[in-house]
Amino acid sequence: MRSGYFKQGYGELVGLTDSPAVKGWTAALLAALVVAPLVLSSYLLSHVTIILFTLVGALGLMVLTGFTGLISLGHVGFLMLGGYAYAIGVTRFGLPPELALLMSAVVPALFGLVVGIPSLRLHGLYLAITTLAFAHIVSAGILGGGQFTGAGSGIMVERPVMFGMDLSSDRAFYWFCLAMCVLAVLVALNLRRTYIGRALIAIRDNDIAARTMGISLVRYKLLAFLVSAALTGVAGALMGIYMSIVSVEGYPFLLSIEALAIIIVGGIGSVLGAVFGTVFIVTMPELFATLMSMVGGRWADTLTTAAHEVKTILYGVAIIAFLRFDPRGLRGIWHDVRHAWVFWPLRY
Amino acid sequence: MSYFIELVASGLAIGAIYGLVAMSFAVIYKATGIVNFAQGEMGMLTAYTSWTIATTLGTDAVTTVLVAVVAGAILGLVCERLIMRPMLGEPVLSVVLVTVGLAVVLRSLVTMIWGAAPHKFAIGGADTILQIGGIGVRASQLTVIAVLLLAIAGFWFFLQHSRFGVAMRAVAADEKTARLMGISTARVQAVAWAAASGLAGLAGAFFAVIYGLAPTIFEIGLKAFPATVLGGFDSVLGSAASGLIIGVLENLVGGYLPSTLKEIAGFVLILVVLMVRPFGLFGEKRIERV
Repeated sequence: MRSGYFKQGYGELVGLTDSPAVKGWTAALLAALVVAPLVLSSYLLSHVTIILFTLVGALGLMVLTGFTGLISLGHVGFLMLGGYAYAIGVTRFGLPPELALLMSAVVPALFGLVVGIPSLRLHGLYLAITTLAFAHIVSAGILGGGQFTGAGSGIMVERPVMFGMDLSSDRAFYWFCLAMCVLAVLVALNLRRTYIGRALIAIRDNDIAARTMGISLVRYKLLAFLVSAALTGVAGALMGIYMSIVSVEGYPFLLSIEALAIIIVGGIGSVLGAVFGTVFIVTMPELFATLMSMVGGRWADTLTTAAHEVKTILYGVAIIAFLRFDPRGLRGIWHDVRHAWVFWPLRY
Repeated sequence: MSYFIELVASGLAIGAIYGLVAMSFAVIYKATGIVNFAQGEMGMLTAYTSWTIATTLGTDAVTTVLVAVVAGAILGLVCERLIMRPMLGEPVLSVVLVTVGLAVVLRSLVTMIWGAAPHKFAIGGADTILQIGGIGVRASQLTVIAVLLLAIAGFWFFLQHSRFGVAMRAVAADEKTARLMGISTARVQAVAWAAASGLAGLAGAFFAVIYGLAPTIFEIGLKAFPATVLGGFDSVLGSAASGLIIGVLENLVGGYLPSTLKEIAGFVLILVVLMVRPFGLFGEKRIERV
């Protein structure tokens, strides 16, 4: 049993963890994820792949909404920009896939700066509406883009060879997504513990106080949009590669809601929360489907005919329930459980 | 020229629908300080409910409209009591996200119950074409404009002269002080939700009668957003007027420019307006700036 947390230097305060157990478990999880494709069935493998690239996008929204407190309903716009930047880079300009993937981060980031500018003048709801407008304008722009963007029919994307790795097999693509995901988690974790991350949290908690302490709101709000859009754009590109096509229908507005659901259910403002939320939201409909098919009969029929609706209702109910009953999200529950485990049989 | 007038006339009709929804956004904002992202979905659910009642019972036009208002108000009361009341005192971010969740649930619920196929909401005399000054207008289109004007007058009177309207403005201005003066915030909130979803229900039912009943009706909520922002969130009457502006603008853009622009005309307009006047055309100049 540990008897308390004692920090002896400033370095320990910003350290990611001081617990050997956490380091051990993280290493075990990573090892398990690396060997997973050799063991899992193709259905489970694709499920984990979806979780991995969704997590990249969820981290993107977490940086903006979770850390900085700027609500965005337009993240699907950044996803779309990322996907299209990659597809257009590869098919129209013949860029190497690595460079196109970089473009899928850079292009949304530039647009993120543009959307970020109104955030300097607008608060809360007004900003949410501006981002909503942004998402609609992006999809209208792509639909009206003619030959260049493929308009309504979208652009086919082949699985590329990246960094000498042929991603056409599901296993290779999984490993690639895993690498991107680990990278994104590291970016978010490290962002959170630097000066920048603490400035973002300060802006979220009280922007006027943050400004009096010398934090430039212009710089850090724009930076939050930049990082968020770049991460989301990469997720959009990975999604496009996974589906082998980028099209406006491939990025429905529901994804913005799904991303919000992920960060709320997981726990706003924490990277661990994003991980929990992603696993929960992506897995929940599948689990629910399995459960319903076990019950069988009419329930299973409803689920196959109205699978999409049932899935969305679940998202909505999850959002409402978590906000209503435990706003700290899954991360809060995890925190309580871990606390009880570590300090048992004492309360604290 | 007559093409232009026709565009304006049908723009006014759709604008009146947006105006009703925009008013409902503003009513809730004025009483509770939050934006209900589920307003369009409330309108949609009410439209489907009143369609079911109208087709099974065969009610006439006036009764159907009344059914829509009452069904909308009941829906609003239920949502307020079950979902919004427990969130009193929570941060605005949480409350707004709850309405986003509610929107998602209602939208899927409607598709699950009534299916995705569009229906015709036929009602006695709604499709009669009236000739006014050389252009043909459907009776339902004229009615919805009249209904909007009635609603504007009613709300103006309600907010300025009734006890409850004054209480609502007091809660909007300063919730804590209003409570200290003996105003029940919860009751004001309940009435605001009932009134707002009654308005949204009217809008949904009229939209269904004029353009057909389909699960895409919730988009009136998205279209009415620009109107509410344009008018200013705290201005009920300004939002109604802005609904007409957005409706006409959208129709003119759709008539003269590529059709994809029609969908985003309102959004582009509010981006411009928000940059210049973040508090809207008729709103109070109170919004914080950084």
